[in-house]
Amino acid sequence: MDEGTTATSLTGKALEAGGTGEVMIEITGVEKWFGDFQALTGVDLVVGRQETVVVAGPSGSGKSTLIRCINRLEQHDRGRIIVDGTELSDDLKDIQEIRRETGMVFQSFNLFPHLTILENITLAPRHVRRRARKEAEENAMRLLERVRIPEQAHKYPGQLSGGQQQRAAIARSLAMEPKVMLFDEPTSALDPEMIKEVLDTMEELAESGMTMICVTHEMGFARHVADRVVFMADGGIVEVDDPESIFANPKEERTKLFLSQVL
Amino acid sequence: MSAPVTTGTGADTARPPQRRVDPARWVRDNLFPTPFNSVLTLVFAPLVVWATWRFARFLVVSARWEIVETNLTLYVVGGFPREQLWRLWLALTILAAVFGLLGGVVGVTAREAAVAAGRTTATTRWDRLARLGPPALLLLVLLGFSRTFTPLLLTGAVVAIGLSLSLVARRIPAALRRAVPLITVAGVVVSLYSISSFGGVPRDEWGGLLITMYYTIGALVVSYPVGILFALGRRSSLPMVRWVCGAYVEFFRGSPLITLLFTGWLVLPFFLPADFPTPTLVTRALIIFILFTSAYVAEIVRGGLQAVGRGQWEAAQALGLSPWKQTRLIVLPQALRAVIPGLVGQAISLFKDTTLVLIIGQQDLLAIAQNVTKQDEFLGQGYIIESLVFVGIVYWVASYWLSKESQRLEVRLGVGQR
Repeated sequence: MDEGTTATSLTGKALEAGGTGEVMIEITGVEKWFGDFQALTGVDLVVGRQETVVVAGPSGSGKSTLIRCINRLEQHDRGRIIVDGTELSDDLKDIQEIRRETGMVFQSFNLFPHLTILENITLAPRHVRRRARKEAEENAMRLLERVRIPEQAHKYPGQLSGGQQQRAAIARSLAMEPKVMLFDEPTSALDPEMIKEVLDTMEELAESGMTMICVTHEMGFARHVADRVVFMADGGIVEVDDPESIFANPKEERTKLFLSQVL
Repeated sequence: MSAPVTTGTGADTARPPQRRVDPARWVRDNLFPTPFNSVLTLVFAPLVVWATWRFARFLVVSARWEIVETNLTLYVVGGFPREQLWRLWLALTILAAVFGLLGGVVGVTAREAAVAAGRTTATTRWDRLARLGPPALLLLVLLGFSRTFTPLLLTGAVVAIGLSLSLVARRIPAALRRAVPLITVAGVVVSLYSISSFGGVPRDEWGGLLITMYYTIGALVVSYPVGILFALGRRSSLPMVRWVCGAYVEFFRGSPLITLLFTGWLVLPFFLPADFPTPTLVTRALIIFILFTSAYVAEIVRGGLQAVGRGQWEAAQALGLSPWKQTRLIVLPQALRAVIPGLVGQAISLFKDTTLVLIIGQQDLLAIAQNVTKQDEFLGQGYIIESLVFVGIVYWVASYWLSKESQRLEVRLGVGQR
């Protein structure tokens, strides 16, 4: 490593838990390989309780892979991931424990097309948390009001617009009362006029004190809502800083180049 | 070229424009749009009319239906002892009662769910009436050849019991509805044993439409769940399970059904341990149908499983559902929905494939159709045509019924899907 100084300063920023200062997610030396291709080259990151972290970077930089490792949609090959005190291991019990506490929102919504919106939202609380149907439905209606689509409760996903579907998907994740929310490019599949309604929902969620990691290309969202912005390239973290500093004064060449292209 | 469209005046503009259907124009657009199509129409229209005329004339005028009239009971039950026929009526009554109950409960539950969700029920009175068409046609075909009124009266009574219980079912309190599927299963078992046990008729003596239905329904009920398990097994993460399921499917798909039936008939008894009671011929044939159909169902369902996107698994995983619940609640419902046409096609195939039991000496509907022409009074007079046409119509109407029901199911389950 010939960039020793930057590496230490980077590590400092990356390992400083924001939010309440209490550690929620701890990622240490995580590596991930797809065949011979190394998608993550030793990532270190600590996320604090109630913190909102935006992960940005060019496509193929490992952003999605990183957050998909946190709830074991991808299995990391080396390093440790600890979510709220539970370390992700090969034990299915640990994996299920972490998945219960971690909500995920996908680029392509992935609502269940054979179930109504209400059934989509109540499914996991009823079958994983074993809530009574009535209780789960009341909670689901509260969440649908929160994301402002209560009138869509009895429709099927195919009958909703993209923005409404994504908000329903957020409500579905929130129904499990997760401690962490992971967003994997939640607005990338949306028409421009629907992006704002989803970002507004995410902003409200961040303000309500949810711990969030968002992979997104929405730099406006990053600037206004994020507590820290993580810039990734080639499977590693290049720079971590608060949004004002990273947008006004990026230190790394890669960051500068990327920001000049997207802003 | 578009059909003339009425131009909306002020008041009409909020409605879609109505297309006027002009008969002369319809004929020109659909039958004679190009010279080539005109030639096709001129060649095939007379052919279709001629064939329809000939067939209708045969059915109504020239066919000598006395062979069917004389042997109707034989077609329906084969060698089933006539003095035991009351057992079949008893079984039919039980079946009508439990399925009437089940149908009523399913209907009222669906309607309540739709009302609760603020959806209007899509079925109209006409839909419900049209749904009764194919089974009514089947009864008409069978009862129309009866020389006495007894079957008609008894059938009327059975249908009345079924329909009245479906009305009663609507008034069953919601708490008791859960018991109805169990009652249905119990009713099916009781009706089966009321025919064969308690001094009744062993299945080896069943014949005609009765044994055809026994093979078809028996094999369907068992092979569909088993086939689904094999389909899931082929995608298992355990190599041994995957390998065994794959070998099973490939073996039974690669063997002709006739070979398998012969094996079940002649070879299987040799491989059973000496002190192991050999199952009856009917049971062996049923097992062969189950093994064969499961393999095909497994492949159809596997296709459906592959059609469910990775995102659905991932969303189910991310919510913390256990692997079994991911499959049962998310993936399997979507997979099965996607392959309804294939599954129903397989059911129809099975229904017609049961005619192969003829070669292992069983008197199923088709075998009877051939054997009755060897009776003294019908021998050598070409009655085989009437006999086969009758049986063909029975097979066709039953298959058509299945196919119609599957289309209904597709529409109903496709709600809101794009």
